[in-house]
Amino acid sequence: MLELQTEQQAKPAVKKRKWLDSEGRWGLLLVSPYLIHFLVFVVGTSVASLYFSFSDYDILNPPKWTGLDNYEKLFEDPLFYRSLWNTAYFTILYVPAKTFLALLLAVALNQKLKGLKFFRMVHFLPVISSWTVIAYVADAVFNQRIGFANAFLSKLGIAPQNWLIDEFWVIPVLVLIAIWKSVGYMMIIFLAGLQGISSDMYEAASIDGANAWQKFWRVTVPMISGTTFLVIILNTIYSFQNFEQIFVMTGGSTEAGSTGGANNASLVLMLFMFRQAFSFFKMGYASAIAWVLFLILLAITLIQFKLQKKWVHYD
Amino acid sequence: MQKRFPLNKIVGYLFVIASALIMLVPFLTTVFNSLKTYKQYMQFPPEWLPNPAQWSNYTTVWEQANFSSYTINSLIVAILSVIGALLSSSMIAFAFARLRFPFRDTLFMIVLGTMMIPGIVTIVPQFIIFKNLGLLDTLAPLWILEWLGQPFAIFLMRQAFLNIPKDYEEAAKLDGCNPFQIYWRVFLPMCKPSLATLAVFTFMGKWNEILAPVIYLISDENFTLPIGILSLSGQYKTEDQLLVAGALISLIPILIVFLFAEKYFVEGSKTSGLK
Repeated sequence: MLELQTEQQAKPAVKKRKWLDSEGRWGLLLVSPYLIHFLVFVVGTSVASLYFSFSDYDILNPPKWTGLDNYEKLFEDPLFYRSLWNTAYFTILYVPAKTFLALLLAVALNQKLKGLKFFRMVHFLPVISSWTVIAYVADAVFNQRIGFANAFLSKLGIAPQNWLIDEFWVIPVLVLIAIWKSVGYMMIIFLAGLQGISSDMYEAASIDGANAWQKFWRVTVPMISGTTFLVIILNTIYSFQNFEQIFVMTGGSTEAGSTGGANNASLVLMLFMFRQAFSFFKMGYASAIAWVLFLILLAITLIQFKLQKKWVHYD
Repeated sequence: MQKRFPLNKIVGYLFVIASALIMLVPFLTTVFNSLKTYKQYMQFPPEWLPNPAQWSNYTTVWEQANFSSYTINSLIVAILSVIGALLSSSMIAFAFARLRFPFRDTLFMIVLGTMMIPGIVTIVPQFIIFKNLGLLDTLAPLWILEWLGQPFAIFLMRQAFLNIPKDYEEAAKLDGCNPFQIYWRVFLPMCKPSLATLAVFTFMGKWNEILAPVIYLISDENFTLPIGILSLSGQYKTEDQLLVAGALISLIPILIVFLFAEKYFVEGSKTSGLK
């Protein structure tokens, strides 16, 4: 650093030229950490992962090329279809409900209600908690023995349910908890979008005699469709990669093999992959699952981008 | 027309208050559960309030398990991640925002592109890299990547650097500063709010992380808080109300960070929506 400085001062005539050159050097030097990151942990790992997905690899022995074996096995594996369905089911319940609720909350808070900061904070409480904490909070409600949900049902004379252990209930209850945990976060994104809508739009609608409901559907929803699109994309990606919640809540131990719920009712793709990789050390098979999961996600995202032209308004 | 306005507000309040209660009541129930005796905790139908409150549950779980070591590990991971993110991502972002160098725009497109690529395909090879480096069952894999720059952090800091007027740069250049000195002495101090946002986000993400610790950590003494508590429920037959107390202990630091830095958390949430 010091040397460079004296060099520049010594040759003022070529200073401009030197500065340009050294600027380029400095630029490359300063971004070099990311270059390493990109080459090793993005390009390197992706290539390796693709290679593993065509190999038999148990970590102890070097990977053995087996061609399409892993993929063929995958498409014959009933657990793959089970986890694919579970992931899709989770997403179908999760994304629309959460998006709609977050938007409603943001619209309500955007009316300049008093105590905005307090309400925002309350909705952030689950957002900032780890899934380990949330697991105990959910337990207070949905534990089949001691939870409030069953106490409430028994008052109504309905038999207690097993919630997170029951094959029928597990995904809907997981979705409910997932929405509860992060709706506050999406609410903030919507709130930022809503604050970008000019009040002229609402005044014009009022003059035309629109009621609150009409204003919501005719002004708010179209004006915020760009944000809605983004929220849907983010949540779909999140939903397909949801691992931590499923891992913590349907198994509840660090023993990887024990998770996945009753009769694999909550075995999602990420958990399926994790189990193959880190419980059974089938790294090749796990890599094939990862690539299939990635391609499905990519396809869904591309379809969503295509569909956006039909309903997202930009102006 | 005039009458409709207050009605909207009333409906808004009702909705938000109902929602706030749905958020708060399970948390309160959990706090009360952590203060019960085992007998009261297991009783059905449950009683809401602990009677009497067992404050000793908190000290018991702290002493019984390896809690202080879990906490120290979590702090090491979170603090090293924050330092790494602040230093490297701001440095990288400064170069992208303010310096001209070969392939700059292509590289920045790559940064944005990697933000879209989900991490799933890289988990297995990443595990193998860290295993070959002999870093399995150490905390290093949990924080080291933050020192090599993360796309979201680079994006966030670049926006901040772009907003600084060019005059500052030129004045510093005339004073004979090299680009690193301009970054370090002039630009970095001007971006404190963005740095704070990045720090809060990194801290929260790392404090709560589960996937990486589950993959990389093997021995109990290396566990971070979230998986330390998870392992307690699996390994020992600790009484459940103690585990609830343990989980709530792990929430305290993040709650403190949040209460002090709520502003930055909101900013970061908005920014993450803009990508």
